[in-house]
Amino acid sequence: MDAHIRKVYVPMTETAFYILLCLQTPNHGYGVVQRVEEMTGGEIRLAPGTMYGSLSKMERDGLIRFVREEDKRKIYESTQTGREVLQLELKRIERLYRNAKEALS
Amino acid sequence: MKEKRVWKFFSIAEQEKEQAFLRQMHRAGWKFVRVGGLCVYHFVPCEPEDVVYQLDYNPEGWAHRAEYLQMFRDCGWEYLQDYLGYAYFRKPAAAMRGEEEEIFSDDASRLQMLRHVFRWRVIPLGLLLLLALVPLYVGALCDRAYGIAAGLGVLLLFCVYVVASFAAAYFRCKRGAEK
Repeated sequence: MDAHIRKVYVPMTETAFYILLCLQTPNHGYGVVQRVEEMTGGEIRLAPGTMYGSLSKMERDGLIRFVREEDKRKIYESTQTGREVLQLELKRIERLYRNAKEALS
Repeated sequence: MKEKRVWKFFSIAEQEKEQAFLRQMHRAGWKFVRVGGLCVYHFVPCEPEDVVYQLDYNPEGWAHRAEYLQMFRDCGWEYLQDYLGYAYFRKPAAAMRGEEEEIFSDDASRLQMLRHVFRWRVIPLGLLLLLALVPLYVGALCDRAYGIAAGLGVLLLFCVYVVASFAAAYFRCKRGAEK
């Protein structure tokens, strides 16, 4: 993974994290919006401008790739790089969680 | 039905004001139809309603029109028109569950949009005006045409003011994102 990708995506925004997480299985933008809303009990509702911008950016950076189009909706899925970024971010969050637990217990 | 036309100028830095203006008109029973020409806003009478208006500026959205608009439609935003590169959307507040929605849900994407506006609008327009106005201004001073020079000076100051307020809006958003 190149240093630029690492710098931009670790740590990543909550929006980017959920999008990448959902795209471990192929889905379109609105599908991701719905999934994230379910997963967070309605707490996080991704807006269309944010969603559209994030998908284009992640595709450009090679974290996700275009699979096919269905009814004017582009379906994307995570690439190997996307999975690696997600793993790095997960490790960071685990460390964060562990340290906070220790400090607060 | 009588149509109402309002001439109103909003600079690049006043997007929020423009959105608020359209919302306020709708609340007062004037539904936005279109904006055209030199900043002429057209409205028709309607039942007063709280409707949120939003503008997006996304060069990638111009290139992939159909899927870009589909994404907004899926999320319940009605697409109205394009004007000077901006796409206009609206969504009734009643269709939003709980808190008020915008077309951006985080500061990172709001900043991204402001960066697009800066690159494709502020820089080209700024350069054009600078290249056109500064020589005219200097020329007027050399000719001792002080009236014209004063007029051009005011215009130049206004341009500087617009760019400065845009920068202020950008950094306000950036500070918010870093918090």
